[in-house]
Formats: sequence, structure tokens, C-alpha cells
Amino acid sequence: MDVRIIHFYPDLMGLYGSRANVLALKRYLEHLDCDVTVEQVSPGGGADISRGDFFYMGAGTERAARAAMADFSRYAEPLKAAAQDNAAMLFAGTAMDLLGKSAKEADGSSYEGLGLASFTVEHGKKRIVGDVYGHTDLYPEAIVGFMNKCGMVSGVETPLLTGLDLGFGNEKERGPEGFHWKNVFASQLTGPLLVKNPKLLETVAAAVYARRGKPLPVDRPADRWAEKAYAVTEEQLRARAQSK
Amino acid sequence: MRTFLAIIVCKLGHFVGKLVGKGSSMPGKFALKVCPDVLRRVTLPEHIIAVTGSNGKTSTVEMIAAVLRADGKTVVYNEEGSNQIEGVTTLVLTHATLSGKVRADVLLIESDERYAARTFQFFHPTEFVITNLYRDQLTRNGHPEWVYDAILPALHPETELILNADDPLSSCFAQGWEKVKWFGLDRCSISTDAPTGVYHDGAHCPLCHAPMEYDYVHYNHIGAYRCANCGHKKPETDYTVTAVDLENAQVTLDGGVTIALAFRSIYNIYNILAAYAACRECGVSGGTAASVLSNYLLKNGRMQTFRLGAHHGTLLTSKHENSIAYDTNLRYIAASEKDCAVLVIVDAVSRKYFTSETSWLWDIDFDQLCAPHVKRVVLAGRYCNDLAERFSFTELDNWSVEPDIAAATSELKNNGDEELFVVTCFSDRDKILSRVEKEA
Repeated sequence: MDVRIIHFYPDLMGLYGSRANVLALKRYLEHLDCDVTVEQVSPGGGADISRGDFFYMGAGTERAARAAMADFSRYAEPLKAAAQDNAAMLFAGTAMDLLGKSAKEADGSSYEGLGLASFTVEHGKKRIVGDVYGHTDLYPEAIVGFMNKCGMVSGVETPLLTGLDLGFGNEKERGPEGFHWKNVFASQLTGPLLVKNPKLLETVAAAVYARRGKPLPVDRPADRWAEKAYAVTEEQLRARAQSK
Repeated sequence: MRTFLAIIVCKLGHFVGKLVGKGSSMPGKFALKVCPDVLRRVTLPEHIIAVTGSNGKTSTVEMIAAVLRADGKTVVYNEEGSNQIEGVTTLVLTHATLSGKVRADVLLIESDERYAARTFQFFHPTEFVITNLYRDQLTRNGHPEWVYDAILPALHPETELILNADDPLSSCFAQGWEKVKWFGLDRCSISTDAPTGVYHDGAHCPLCHAPMEYDYVHYNHIGAYRCANCGHKKPETDYTVTAVDLENAQVTLDGGVTIALAFRSIYNIYNILAAYAACRECGVSGGTAASVLSNYLLKNGRMQTFRLGAHHGTLLTSKHENSIAYDTNLRYIAASEKDCAVLVIVDAVSRKYFTSETSWLWDIDFDQLCAPHVKRVVLAGRYCNDLAERFSFTELDNWSVEPDIAAATSELKNNGDEELFVVTCFSDRDKILSRVEKEA
């Protein structure tokens, strides 16, 4: 199966090892015998959304996210249509902020988001950082990650993480986190989410297959280092959550 | 009266703290409770030099102090590394007379970049050195622009900024500023044509976000940048490394001053240059500065040599969560020519706070170890699996994993005699240093 990954703004939105999500998904799909192409999109560069199987944007600074949005808005209609048509996409860190209706900056100025979701985000002057241990309705295993943001997200009705035992969610401590609708996955969790959570990587890969009307192959690659790393972090963060 | 009391409290606290071996920030904390604006009330020296930035603060401050002292000046500085307002208060008050006059010609302050604004709300430096700003401890710092915004209110219009011309972000502090001196490196033997590393924070202009171009680069995105859109570019430098000769371990400053390098690292070169610039701005001659900085061996021991079995080893302290620090040390290993083994340890991500955050591993260019003389790489510590996962995405295939640091050390001790480089952080380095024979 040919798979085309469209990676938006890898330089501008490349904080916290964000690129690792693309590396992990590409290798996972290649191990399933997919022929994977990664198209990197720069501001002003242009991309044919109709040809994409998976769309990705990582975390950037708040100023970088706003600069990215100035270009990203041109893809609003085709991306919304693709999402409606079950295209798989992941927006991690500040990239999630761009999916909603609008973003308000700490200085009071604001700008419009993609409008793919109905939430809004408001950036503040306080940085919210910390490890996160939470749960999703997608599978039983816990999700681990790290939050590094200054944005409060309001109005999400379908979060990706339905509850947290540790860390800050969309708008409160231990509240729901992220956004999930059809095959659109979004989380303000930063960095290599798909590396840290092998089960989430599998879920996203399954979404790519599902849009092609295929189930994930039964024989799937196991990544022993990622699994072991997950086990260590899961144990650490679970203990941390229980001690709080 | 409150000033007097605060000074007494601080001096007593410092005395007791020394007896019981406690940290250097507590006396200042008590003094600030007694008199919150005591730093405004004391009489400070004519020169107050502050140094902040992502990398090189401690080393630069140490070298500035050495040069100024050699020039006959009395210098007080926070040698113990407490670089927030409490530590600075301890420093100032313990060196003050009971009437509140600091007995020194120069007050030299290493300042935490995020808390500089708090420290300098009561007084301001005469010279402010900002070494660089890039990805560093993002779990507490957010990101480089966040830190930039935090430093900005710490800068007083009367302060002279001494800035790194080669860093596209920290050079922005000069926007609208009158008193600025620049230090930087000309294109030289270590320069490359394009940015290096696995991410590119210099791809876009920090001011207008248009694409930037580079004439040359010294490491990562530090070099001669220019934005065609808004004109932000590397400025002309006042203090310049005009030539680098790594083979003979020396650099030339301003076309005529030669400085021998005790450590052939690009960081060391920038730290020496920043120290040189600051000292020259305080009236020290180039000759005096050069004589002290030549072959200057840092006391902070970030590079420690040792023996382990038949191996001669070098510890390259690399801050976890600081990919450029790692990249620089990996570059050092890649440039070494003898056959070597490399031990990378990630056990405690931080010595100061709990986190399982390992995303920074993806910002490090471990492929630099793809060199024929790097014979094997051992990954150890609690987060060895995260390291292994990261390594599984490199071109390297000569790496192995041993979670237990003691076992990894024993295995190395009992096998081979090649040079050994250990790459790890302050938080983890004693776990290896306690198992080797340190060299003086």
C-alpha cells in the first residue's frame, strides 16, 4: 500500500522532538510493507491535500504557531473535507491550538484557527509544564507524555484523553485532554507521542488503513525498545500519580 | 535599620550554612524576608557584570573573574552557582560591610535566565553578557522564545549589552538598544556552509518568521544568518575570533591576540570570547586577558579524565535536556581520531526535579558517532530503552544496551583498551565517576 504523509512546517513547528512522530509512523508502516512517502510542507510551499493519507504538525513556539497559521489557513477547506472523509491526522503540542475556531494571545490579540473543531484556545503568561498520565477510550493502556504549554483550551466535547491521573488537561488539572473526532487526533502533549505510546502509534496506523477500507494486518511489528521504554515510564508516572 | 538587620541575618546564616554544609541561597532568602528591597539599599561596586544564557554561563563567569583578578581588581561572584535572587542576595550581603557597602571593584553575577528579571528589579548591571539562547531544559524553560521574553524585562536601558552576534535569537535583544557590543566568530576552519543538527531553529527569522539564509555556520544554527525579508542579520562584531586552529589548539582574537585552548571545543571558544569581550569592556588590556585565558583550565570540572581497567577515559558532561550540549560533545568525539568506545548514560533526567520526559533525545544528532574510530556505543541507565529507541533511528549498528550502570562499567572495565568517552549529565555523572580512577 502506498501511503503519503504530509508533514506541515517541520522547521517552524519542530519543538520537543516533534519530528519523531513522523519517523515512528513511517517505520511502522514500512514494516507492514507499505511504501511510505513523506512530503514536508514549508510556509508558502503548497501541498495537495487530496493526495495525503496522514497529516501531521508538531509543536512550535506561540509566535511560530501564529506564523504557521498564516499559511495553514489556505488548507482549511480541503483539510476539513479530508477529516470529514475520515483522513487520519495528528496535531501535537501547539499545533492542536490551530485546529479550533480561534486563538487568543497573552497580549490580548487573537487570530482565527482552522475551524476544524469548535474549541478556542487562550494563551497566558504562565507556563504549564509537567508529566502526564492519562486514559483514552480508544484502548485500555494508559497514555504517557509531557505537557509544555501556556494555552487553555475551552469547548472540547470529544477529548482524546478522557481523564488524567497526573498532569494538566485542556483547561484544568487532571481534566480531559486533547481532541478526537473521526480520525483526527490532537493533543497539546508535546514531543514524540507516538514513540512514547506504542499503542497510540498502532491506533493511528489503524486509522490510516481504515480510510483505505482495510484492517491493520494481524502480523504487526513489535518495537521492543519502545515497548520497554513505555513500560518504564508508565511505571514511573503511575507511581507518581498514585503518590499525589 | 532593616538593611543592617538583613546583612546580619545573611552573614550569620552564611556562617552557619558553611558549618553544616548547606546551600548558598538560604541566607539570602532570610535576608529578603527581613528587608525585601535590601539589594536596592546597599552600595554596589562601580562595575556590575551579569552573565546569562542557555550555555556557558558558569564557565564564562569563572573566566571573567580570573581575568579581572589578574588585572588587580577585587571581584565577588557566585562561585557556588546559586544564580537566582536568593543566591545573589547571599553573595552581595556576605561581601558587604555592616553599613551596606560591597567590598569589591566588580560584582559579577551568573544569573538564571528565567529569573533574571526578579534579580535585577532592585539594581541593574553595568554590563550584561548574554551567551546564547536555544533549546535547554525545556521541561522548566518552556522554549527559547519564552526565555527570551522572560529576560527582556531584566534589561535596563542604562545597561550595556554584550551579545553573541552569531545567535539569531539572543541577538534580537539589541532591537532598539543603544549600548551594544558584539562578539562572534568569523568564518574559520571549523565553519560549515549550512546549519547542522537534526532540527533547524535558525530556519526562520525570530523577528518576522520569514526564511533565513546562512553564509556560514559554526555549530547548529549559530553563525552568519540573514533574513531577506526584515534584514535581521549577523551584525559586525567588536570582539572577534578571526582564526581557529584546532590542530594546534589555539584561536586568534581580533587578528592579533593568540589564545591557547585547554579544551578544543567550540563552546570553550565562545566562552573565552565572551569573557574576553566583557573584560575588555571593563578596561582590561587584550594582553592581560589573553595571558589569563590562554590554557585556562576550568574549575567546574565538566571534563574529567580517568582510567577504567585498560581504558583511558574522558567524561564529557552534557546537560540532559540540552541537545546542543550533547551535539557539541558528540562532535568532539567524532573529531577525535583514536579508536574509542562511548558510554551514554540517562538515568535521572534532572537532579533537581522529577520527570520522565525524554523528547530531547530526538533533538540530538547521535549520527555524529557514525565514524570508523567509534568502535562501540553502550547505552545505560533507567532511560536506556528510550536511548535505544532513539538509536534505532540512526545509521549506527554498533550499540548495545545495559540498564545497570555498574554492570555497564564492569563490562567496559573487563573488555578492551580503547579510549572511552562517557557522555552524561551532572545528574548522572557521579554514578560513573564513583566507579573509575579519576586523574588529577
